Amino acid sequence: MRYIPSTKEQQEEMLKEIGVSSFEQLINNIPNSLKLKSKLNIPSALSEFELEENILEISQKNANFQKFKPLIGAGTYRHFIPEAQKALLQRQEFWTCYTPYQPELSQGTLQTIFEFQSYIARLTKMEVVVPSIFDGASAAAEAILMSLRLTHKNKIIVSKLIHPHYLKTIKTYLAPHNTIIVEIPFENGLTSLEHFKQSIDNDTACILIQSPNFFGGIENIKTFSEIAHQKDTLFIQIITESMSLGLLKSPGDMGADIVVGNTQSFGLELDFGGPHNAFLATRKKYIRQIPGRIAGETRDKDGKRCFVMTFRAREQDIRREKATSNICTNHNLNVVASNIYLSLMGTEGIRQYSLLNAKIAHYFEKKLLETGKFEKMCEYSYFNEFLITYKGNDINRLSKILIDNNFVPPLLVQKFYPDTSLQNTLLFAITEIFNRNELDSICNLLSQ
Amino acid sequence: MSKIIENLFYSKNDEWLKDEGNNIVVIGITDYAQSQLGDIVYVEEIKNEIKINKGDVLSTVESVKAVSDVYSPVSGEVVEVNQKLVDEPATVNHDPYGEGWFVKIKMINPEEIKELMTSSEYNDFRKE
Amino acid sequence: MRLIFEKSIPGRVGFSLPTDLFDDMKIVELLPDDYIEKDKKDLSEVSEVDVIRHFTKLSKYNYGVDDGLYPLGSCTMKYNPRINEKLAALNNFSRAHPLAPIELVQGSLEIMFKLNELLCEITGMNQFTMAPASGAHGELTGILLMRQYFIDKGEKRTKMLIPDSAHGTNPASAAMGGFDVVEIKSNENGTVDLESLSKAMDEETVGLMLTNPNTVGLYDEGIIEIEKIIHEKGGLLYYDGANLNASLGIVRPGDAGFDVVHLNLHKTFSTPHGGGGPGSGVIGVKSDLIPYLPTPLIDFDSDKNMYIFKDVGSKSIGMIRSFWGNFSVLVKTLCWILSLGPEFLYEASKNSIINANYILAKLKEYYKPAYDRFCGHECTLTGREYKKYGIKTLQIAKRLMDYGYHPPTIYFPHFEPYADETIMIESPESEGKEILDDFINIMIKISHEAKDSPDLLKTAPHITPISQTDDALAVKQAILTYDDELQNKDKLNYSEENINF
Repeated sequence: MRYIPSTKEQQEEMLKEIGVSSFEQLINNIPNSLKLKSKLNIPSALSEFELEENILEISQKNANFQKFKPLIGAGTYRHFIPEAQKALLQRQEFWTCYTPYQPELSQGTLQTIFEFQSYIARLTKMEVVVPSIFDGASAAAEAILMSLRLTHKNKIIVSKLIHPHYLKTIKTYLAPHNTIIVEIPFENGLTSLEHFKQSIDNDTACILIQSPNFFGGIENIKTFSEIAHQKDTLFIQIITESMSLGLLKSPGDMGADIVVGNTQSFGLELDFGGPHNAFLATRKKYIRQIPGRIAGETRDKDGKRCFVMTFRAREQDIRREKATSNICTNHNLNVVASNIYLSLMGTEGIRQYSLLNAKIAHYFEKKLLETGKFEKMCEYSYFNEFLITYKGNDINRLSKILIDNNFVPPLLVQKFYPDTSLQNTLLFAITEIFNRNELDSICNLLSQ
Repeated sequence: MSKIIENLFYSKNDEWLKDEGNNIVVIGITDYAQSQLGDIVYVEEIKNEIKINKGDVLSTVESVKAVSDVYSPVSGEVVEVNQKLVDEPATVNHDPYGEGWFVKIKMINPEEIKELMTSSEYNDFRKE
Repeated sequence: MRLIFEKSIPGRVGFSLPTDLFDDMKIVELLPDDYIEKDKKDLSEVSEVDVIRHFTKLSKYNYGVDDGLYPLGSCTMKYNPRINEKLAALNNFSRAHPLAPIELVQGSLEIMFKLNELLCEITGMNQFTMAPASGAHGELTGILLMRQYFIDKGEKRTKMLIPDSAHGTNPASAAMGGFDVVEIKSNENGTVDLESLSKAMDEETVGLMLTNPNTVGLYDEGIIEIEKIIHEKGGLLYYDGANLNASLGIVRPGDAGFDVVHLNLHKTFSTPHGGGGPGSGVIGVKSDLIPYLPTPLIDFDSDKNMYIFKDVGSKSIGMIRSFWGNFSVLVKTLCWILSLGPEFLYEASKNSIINANYILAKLKEYYKPAYDRFCGHECTLTGREYKKYGIKTLQIAKRLMDYGYHPPTIYFPHFEPYADETIMIESPESEGKEILDDFINIMIKISHEAKDSPDLLKTAPHITPISQTDDALAVKQAILTYDDELQNKDKLNYSEENINF
């Protein structure tokens, strides 16, 4: 088999050197009652050609996503990925290599991680960046666990407008902790400040707000964080659309203590929901409580500047049950992908693209309202994702029209928020992948 | 060969204790402990005036490749903390029995010293 | 090597913009002033050419599986087939939105459904969840569902048994699951001490987490007894599947009585390591634990004749990440299994076991093994004898780099008195005999050098771009971003040679 080089003769030679007459002697300590008596009941090996045909056929049962464009975000956003990034990611040295435990053989990986940490620190105005936790949901959970360790308190406040999957994940991770979880409701597409003020007390470890929130609304981070700090509560901001960091005020300036950001928008494909990546950024004083791996700068024996995994004494292989987290393998290659993306975009690109995202989304909302078939759901400010209510009767027909015209329809908000007031409400996300004509045609379609 | 000082008492967790009289004792970690850890980069801050029981964790010492808990060999109240270790944790490596001391404790049960090892007992203990 | 920030030149661009920038929409009219960052956030300004050159150069400072043997025990660094990469990157898969209406993503759902069937057959389990993103993530998932199982039964169990040889993620995951860890010693054969296990197992214990073959590469033949001990007291048996490469087509954890199994798709199933991920740590369970799995699962609705998401139900532990799983990793796994079929899955394990035993046989007189017996797909040697020449195992590893090899796993596992100064070598089935022979010869050569010219080891590596990093300094100076470096510029005082190499 082309992935298994050693020939029968070579195997025989090796068995001889080992001092056995057959392979079976090497596994005779496995109890006979457990050894498989027959072949695994799975299909016989496919040739490369057959495999390709087989998988292509399955892929064709999906919509033609080369053509289909998503009008939906809800936590994961289609953005343009430059070809130079894809080409660089093809280099096997980046993707076939192992975790950089041996820095002398991994400066490529380690320096890339360091550069990414630097970019994110500047985008968020935070001091320490853990570059990779699997996704925003697990990162949010880790951020909460971190805040519980730091404050020794046992109550958390979470906005109902954080991504529903993230909220579910947080509850799953917190199950062994007997933590009191207070969920605060929303009004007009934003987290209720009033309810927050009523719920927070001296026993609150942290508050989590997503901004832009699940409905796309930009939250008043500064106000929330100020109130939190009055009660010695940590303020955690969640970001699912990292492109917003190019335009909106930095979480660090707004008082965030921990920021969790899904970086899928920085050069990663939708990939049916994963693997993506999330960073966890915080203040330097919390460094010993961060989960996951981090790269740091040092020198080698000749004084050369180089990079290593650092602050490792927190990690599972050293601390075992006292580790800050069990994280070992993370989503490193997606850190490399995002880093290359950010290098290509640079200062100007991130700014221009995030401006474009905001403008194009607002343009589309304007056009939708002009059709007369839609009305504004709430008067909030948003980045590139917004709520809108359909005035017509058959909202499913709307989805069908869009699908027939090669668009993945927007989210029917009721799917996640079964409130009758949101029955006809849609969540659209518009990014730079659309052009004006396309958006105008969509409005034409929907106005019929 | 790691250094052991006479007149000090030793615990099985490689802490040393010096009796200063008046029920005040000084606690630190031994030369063996610091050499096992390697370059110490961080010593967890100990709060002054806290009450501590024998066997409680006083602090955590972190090197690049390991983390070790420092246990209190006696019960009492912390009366002084060595601030030097905050900025210069490597002091524990250079001078574990002198400048690298961790805390001074006022004992509530001086009998507990009897449960510790003498320098020659500790020498045998660590000889293996 | 110079950082991208040091190559930045104001005015350079690496991106392109469409002509229509929607300037008819004025941002000041769209968003309140105090939400917008007035100044641009300073990243870097480099051209596309600069980026290509920068990362091309950086890549050459790495060592990949395509460069040569990666004898890392416990990591299973096998060849990453190219066709799998191509198929996972098909637009219909990579551009599928996870919340698209299911009629648009039947192909993606079919991939996940089919993979579940194959993995169940390979492992002898009844149902897999594809959600966990890594082995450790899978461990946490498994532990949380085991926890929920006992809560549902009304039993209060607070402890988890874990062998001293276990990978650090096992106790870390157990602690995250709220359990106290009870360590079980390994015996002189390298396997779980049955007497200790029997004493420790009680009705307050969830069960045992076991890797089999274990972390020193030995198949624990006591598994039959272990299973009885745990199940007799109503406990559950958890399988850490990191070492499954020794078992494909030979033995199945499901048959051995394991209740929960995690697999490391980026190890056994050939998906790339990516410098530390993404991988996938799918979890398989026996039927009575299915109600506790994370939600949703993929099912086939024969009435509607389509694949659907099925809600696990009210006993589910919930979700452990957003969306459904590391999909592209799942595609690659499916491709690999279909390419090998039953005959070659068996050959994969067979060859990996022969390889490891061959290395063990040839090197044991130079590097005393932790256990002098046949091993599984990896062998554990030690560098103990070289202490007397003043040589640490780390130095043996670093010297290997001078011969063009990535070192094996060192200092893991570590448990007294057997697994000390360990050198754990795994050479998966994708390594041919001549590679092993070359590696063996180099290891022998280094063993001579350790005695005759120890300085070569002490000053190693010599041919790599950097050598012997100061890890303590990294913690002390805590320079974790380029801005940290700028703030410490004067103190660091780097020379041109320090940076430009």
